[in-house]
Amino acid sequence: MTRKRGLWFRWRRYGIGRTALIGLFLLFVLFPLYWVAVTSIKPSSDYLAMPPVWFPAHPTIVHYVAALFAYRGLEGLLNSLVVAVATTLLSVALGTCMGYSMVRFGTGGRDLAFWVLSQRFLPPVAVVLPIFLLYRSYHLYDTRIGLVLVYTVMTLPLSVWMMYAYFRQVPRALEEAALVDGCGWWGAFWRIAVPLAVPGIIAAAAFAFIGVWTEFFFALNLTSRNAFTLPTVFRSFLSFQGAQYGESSALAVISLVPSIALGMLVQKHLVRGLTLGAVRG
Amino acid sequence: MRGGIGARGLAGQRARREERSALAAWSERHINWLLVAPAVLLILAITVYPLGYSVWVAFVNFDFLIPGHAFVGFGNFAAVLNDPVALHSVVVTAVFTVADVGLEFVLGLALALALETKFRGRGILMAIFVVPLFIAPVIVGQFWSLLLQRPFGPVDYILSVIIRHPVTISWLTEFPWDFIGVILADIWQWTSFVMVILLAGLAGIPAELHEAAAIDGAGSWQGFRFITLPQLLPMILLAVTFRLLGAVNLFDTIFMMTGGGPGTSTYTTAYYLYQTGFQEFHLSEATAGSWLFLILVSAAIFILVRRLLKVEEA
Amino acid sequence: MDEIIPDEEHERALARELDAWLAGDHSRRHVLAALLGIGAAGAVLPASAHAASRAGWLGRQQDHLLQQAAVDLASPDTPLGKAQADAVTASTKTPADGSAFRAVAAAKGKFNNVSLALTYEAGLQALEPRNFSGPLWQQLTGMNYSVVELAHPDLYSKAITEHIAGSGAYDVLDIEPAWIPSLADGGVIAPVDEYVKKYMNQADLNDYHPLFKFLPMYKGKRWGFFDDGDQLELYYRADVFGDPKLKSAYEAKFKQPFRVPATWDEYSQVAQFITDQMAPNVYGAVHFRKFGSPGNQFAFCQQFRANGGVFFDAKTMQAQLATPAGIRTLEQMIAANKASVPGNNDLDAVAAWVAWLSGKSAMLFSWPPTGRMSENYSQRSKAVNFVPTSKIAGKVGYAIMPGKYGEMASGFVKAISADSRHPEAAYLFAQWQSSPPVSLVRVMLPYTLRDPYRISHYTSPIYRSLWPSAKDYLINLSNAANFGITDMIMPGWQDYALTLDRMCTAVWAGKDPKAALEGADAEWNATTRKIGVAAQRASYQEFLKGVGCYPDHTVDAMGLAVHLT
Repeated sequence: MTRKRGLWFRWRRYGIGRTALIGLFLLFVLFPLYWVAVTSIKPSSDYLAMPPVWFPAHPTIVHYVAALFAYRGLEGLLNSLVVAVATTLLSVALGTCMGYSMVRFGTGGRDLAFWVLSQRFLPPVAVVLPIFLLYRSYHLYDTRIGLVLVYTVMTLPLSVWMMYAYFRQVPRALEEAALVDGCGWWGAFWRIAVPLAVPGIIAAAAFAFIGVWTEFFFALNLTSRNAFTLPTVFRSFLSFQGAQYGESSALAVISLVPSIALGMLVQKHLVRGLTLGAVRG
Repeated sequence: MRGGIGARGLAGQRARREERSALAAWSERHINWLLVAPAVLLILAITVYPLGYSVWVAFVNFDFLIPGHAFVGFGNFAAVLNDPVALHSVVVTAVFTVADVGLEFVLGLALALALETKFRGRGILMAIFVVPLFIAPVIVGQFWSLLLQRPFGPVDYILSVIIRHPVTISWLTEFPWDFIGVILADIWQWTSFVMVILLAGLAGIPAELHEAAAIDGAGSWQGFRFITLPQLLPMILLAVTFRLLGAVNLFDTIFMMTGGGPGTSTYTTAYYLYQTGFQEFHLSEATAGSWLFLILVSAAIFILVRRLLKVEEA
Repeated sequence: MDEIIPDEEHERALARELDAWLAGDHSRRHVLAALLGIGAAGAVLPASAHAASRAGWLGRQQDHLLQQAAVDLASPDTPLGKAQADAVTASTKTPADGSAFRAVAAAKGKFNNVSLALTYEAGLQALEPRNFSGPLWQQLTGMNYSVVELAHPDLYSKAITEHIAGSGAYDVLDIEPAWIPSLADGGVIAPVDEYVKKYMNQADLNDYHPLFKFLPMYKGKRWGFFDDGDQLELYYRADVFGDPKLKSAYEAKFKQPFRVPATWDEYSQVAQFITDQMAPNVYGAVHFRKFGSPGNQFAFCQQFRANGGVFFDAKTMQAQLATPAGIRTLEQMIAANKASVPGNNDLDAVAAWVAWLSGKSAMLFSWPPTGRMSENYSQRSKAVNFVPTSKIAGKVGYAIMPGKYGEMASGFVKAISADSRHPEAAYLFAQWQSSPPVSLVRVMLPYTLRDPYRISHYTSPIYRSLWPSAKDYLINLSNAANFGITDMIMPGWQDYALTLDRMCTAVWAGKDPKAALEGADAEWNATTRKIGVAAQRASYQEFLKGVGCYPDHTVDAMGLAVHLT
């Protein structure tokens, strides 16, 4: 009897605490998103209003137009898209090949694994300067190809390790059957292993895309007028005269859409992606 | 070539077929290296080669205002080590890293515990909570400067309403509020990272352990301390070290929110090196500084990667 | 090698997928097809985007969207329209020896497939080339253009980055005159003397206020055209200063006349008095104290030198900031901050204008656009959409800076990039833009941030007709320039300036002024050492010879003052 009441008390206490914690965190997460969305449709005069305008009386899309055209947001968006897609394809392709080889043949053993994995944690600031100097010699400065190459290397560890984790779960038996049928390893790889790892490929692709879509530091220093990506456009909002709140909010909203959509897509693989395949979610 | 014209045609075809199959056989034998080669070559070209080049840059003069590339020995390293801003930036980075990761750990653990048991709507909540993970850090910095920047940011107003006393904190230009602002932005983005990983870890703890402890009369706090925490330790370490190595590179939010200011008080190491290299164009000094930073961080990288490998093999 | 036992769920899913594949299930194929589709799109997109950008197509679409019709000229019976018509006449008909005419004649039809990349400060500054000078030049000569908008410090750093990268991305650079030594020595900009000999006429070259005339010169060569008279002066509320109640209260309290302040101490005193009396409706002053927007270095430098401070010991090249003059300057600025609008330390130049125009402040020292905005002249343009309507039109008076010496803060010079692939075309555009008739329009446009700098601007009857007190405004600008002091024009100025800006923001955040000044001295000395003490000593000597270096060397002190009526 006493024990039951004790349990009930504990639940009630924890229940309230839990609810409060979750509720507060939910507010914490949602409020900035709401504020940015609202700011992007406020007319400029509403910025200066005190108390703050919680929802504008006359919402406008003028900031979206200005952000896309006057501040070259559209061009940055297209560049980001192109670079992200190209990087994703290249990174996933190379990662799949490498992951497979490491699983099936143990290529390079622990040393190769260690080396590739450590690239993930290389501080960008350590390589950006020499890459900048080298790119200018090879005329890769301010080109999309230059960005793609850097981003591929940046996302390779993730691709390699996610594919490694997935290939480990593909039983050899299927490939061995194919080999017996005279397929050869290339055939086994391409016709059996890869199709089975497609969920992993998709997940790796999504993470790679998001990684490139949100990258700022390399884009800031390796691009200029031609190959600039969407995150770098935010820099022009820190202008001489102060921040253009509406335009930068509009651009932020535009930028959020693909990354959040993809993020929702890979919910199942979230933990695996975040920990480079080390942990099954 | 064997045979006459007609025979050459046939023989040519056979030779080509033999060549092709020789090539195919060769590529079959070396498939393991061929699969790995493109990635390895790319990494060598984009990481190892520039790092090697930067060693040279770090030991010569490479500066916009001073022509030529004369050898300067350890001059660049000395310049960085003697620069009070450089040392200050290391301290600032350490402060941010410890504060960010510490708070993310505590909050992430609490949330993971709160969300451990399934209830209706948990899926939606989790989906919302992980949204910040997919947003560009530079945009997160922009969000928070919108919120905090006087005079138009709503945070001061909301605080004034809550505590019923006018709040006039200059969040981005006053110490210690600028630090708090950046930390808020960082935990807003990354807390769910820790939460998700710890949730996965919690899911992996066998229920029998808790049941056994309950039968033995253990209270919930003891259950937490002696079962949950130890079982969760590998996950905690994983999440914390991931975050540590991410927080050390703090740049985007600083760039957008404080610009390193006021003065140089919120210069992180990455921002300091960016400023030295790409704003003041003291390229060789910045390169030397990057090497020092890389050496500092390498120890942590080494440990984490070893651990990751171990977890993977487990 | 990899004897992992997959968890049950995954194995079941795997088995399902395997069956599906072996059965030729469409879903798997669909996924692969989708992937291939994305891949194909991913291949097509870069190719087309590459082609598009090579052809400049995207950039042109954007520029096209921003251009309002070919050239939006005002009606000729308005002052602006008349000035624009004059500019067109000068470019096409007469005077035939004018720099506008000669530039157009030399460029017409010769550079049709050239597109000039012009760097401009992002925001309002970039409106002018987009809406007026760019389209008009295109109409007159057939040359294309594109405007590259950059944050103010990027006008310096991006130009250098592109130069290091050898990209030739920019043609005409908008730069601060104080950056000329660094950029010229670094090979980023090219001298224009030979083009000037070929295309310029002497009269137009002389039509500058003496303060601005010699700014583009360095080491005996000319490096561009001065193009923006950024002289800081004081704007005050005539109604506040004419208020008899305030007058008697002030005179009773301080035993001094209540007037527009003549010294910096008087400035803080008057501002504090007004704040005490009239807050929260009106505060004594408002300032732009935010880092980099555009920066505290200008306000500090003018006040420092007005207080007798010198930047360097001319012999040892040791920085002399941590001196009584420096401490006094910071203390005066802190006192002024206290007397200012709340949130003063967070305000950038535009936010300061917003406070001023809404009537919140009795005094403001800032750039010349302040005068145009105060009279609602600028607000006629839709482009100026975040500057509110002025509530103080007709109530604004003009004065020179307290302490007499106001900073010629930044300013702009049109320079030619040394890596430009079309230097002559770039030069001709710069000459045409800064020619007297065209530049008059450019400083008269409602949305412009370009300010008068030629004698012909100050005396222009068209400009003087823009609003009732425009004549006083122009005369005051010229007087302020008579006592104007320039930024420190030396190699490394941007580094020195950033140090000052950071020092000031640290002091606003509470750092002790003496410690902050000593820190700034240390950074300055480190910068000087990096560039080379001997080289900097020589450069500093050059600076000391220039007009406007210190209060004893202003235009007025050298007997060159322009007296306009």
